[in-house]
Amino acid sequence: MQLEFLFAGFAVFWAGIFVYLLMLQARVRSLQRDVERLEERLAETDAAPATPRR
Amino acid sequence: MSPAVAVMAKDLRLAWRDRAGWASAGAFATIAVLTYSFAFDLATGDVRPLLPGVLWTTFLFAGIFAGGQSFARESEEGTFDALLLSPVSPTMIYVGKATANVLAMLAIEFAQLLLATILFGTSLVSPELLVIVFIGTVGAVSLTTLLSTMSASMRGRAMLLPVMALPLLVPLLIGAVRATAASLDLDAGTAPWTLLLGVFALWSTLLSVLLFPLAVER
Amino acid sequence: MITSTLRNLYGWRWLAIPPVTGVAVMAMIIGALIVAPPEAIEGDVQRILYLHFPSILAAYGAFAVVFVASIVVLWRGDLRYDAVARGAASVGVLFTGLTLATGALWGKPVWGVYWTWDARLTSTLVLFLIYAAYLLARAMADELDEQAARFAAVFAILGAFDIPLIMFSVTWWRTLHPQPIVLRGLERPALPPEMLIVLLIAFLGISALAVWLGVLRTDTELLAKRTAVLRATIDRREGA
Repeated sequence: MQLEFLFAGFAVFWAGIFVYLLMLQARVRSLQRDVERLEERLAETDAAPATPRR
Repeated sequence: MSPAVAVMAKDLRLAWRDRAGWASAGAFATIAVLTYSFAFDLATGDVRPLLPGVLWTTFLFAGIFAGGQSFARESEEGTFDALLLSPVSPTMIYVGKATANVLAMLAIEFAQLLLATILFGTSLVSPELLVIVFIGTVGAVSLTTLLSTMSASMRGRAMLLPVMALPLLVPLLIGAVRATAASLDLDAGTAPWTLLLGVFALWSTLLSVLLFPLAVER
Repeated sequence: MITSTLRNLYGWRWLAIPPVTGVAVMAMIIGALIVAPPEAIEGDVQRILYLHFPSILAAYGAFAVVFVASIVVLWRGDLRYDAVARGAASVGVLFTGLTLATGALWGKPVWGVYWTWDARLTSTLVLFLIYAAYLLARAMADELDEQAARFAAVFAILGAFDIPLIMFSVTWWRTLHPQPIVLRGLERPALPPEMLIVLLIAFLGISALAVWLGVLRTDTELLAKRTAVLRATIDRREGA
């Protein structure tokens, strides 16, 4: 009975930390995608001046 | 002195022109009291201890909705930015705005006290209770005015304002409900509730006056 | 001067923080589950203390960082401290939440209930709500919105100054009323030395963990800000 609650306490604590890290990782992933997309756009604009735009 | 009075007069005039908005806040408060009385059957004797809580949750919610709405109008029309660019100091702008909001809220609350007196057969218009309502309103509205200025420019502000304001107002709610209960001869414990309310009102007014210029500085 | 020191710190902190955290956390788990003696009355479940108590201390530390960083945001208008405040607030909310959760799982076997409206529990819950609201409010505006950063900083300062009032009011609200008997467990005698040492190690471990998570989160916020700057620059170039 008592050990169950001890186990639950430790499990909840580490699960909380783990979920926090997962959410942080998801945020970093999406930022990484943003940066990649921006890099592509930057490459396009750098190439653009060669072709005259109207 | 005079700039704050001028801003207050302007805000009161605005509040009057925007009376539909304030009237809907008053209507909200009325509906809320009626909803509570249907939910808890407040006219029966056993639930009289709930009355202070009913009144104060109604006052707080009505104040938050009305305050948020009063700034939404200004931030949409850009008049708030114009006011900030004017030579009037931000402190005066804040004091004028908060005073106008307090006066408008006091009118709504007084009407609710009269209504509740009639509906629940309990005399709620005593000098002691009016003082408690005044102090509580100053404490709550000074804080919600500051917070509504801030949340006015944010997305999803209608949801955000109560989420930000209510946790900060926990001491005020406790103090106001218990002080009101004590003035109605209900069991309220022995702590100095009116003192707690007064300290909170002083705290929130001082801090809001000090922080408002820092918040809008650009 | 300060920025160059910080930049140097950036290099070696990833050499220092993870190993220190790892060792301290391992020592904490071994200490809490094996080395520390079971408590005389409460038995093994009392070992939750080694997570519960350091967590709330870490949360208080994080909220202190939020307070100081918010003052710097208002004073200097430096958005990097907005990132620090957000990072610290999210770690503070995390550890306050973990304190409440572990506390509930400790309370059930010892007091018989998961939750009771005791002064300390209630004020911790309000603290959790205030800083969760801070995070929500800040997340609803742009990374580079200086106005929103100032607003969030003002709110954080209001929250910090509200804490003593909340503690007073909630204590009067609760403690002057009949207390449930279950709460007697709170007045415990001083801890024996073995427990105190394990608690100290646990405090080190959880503090290191909190610093690590806070730094990670702050870095993420800074990265988000830099990405936003980059996007604005590219938008301007494409528009030109």
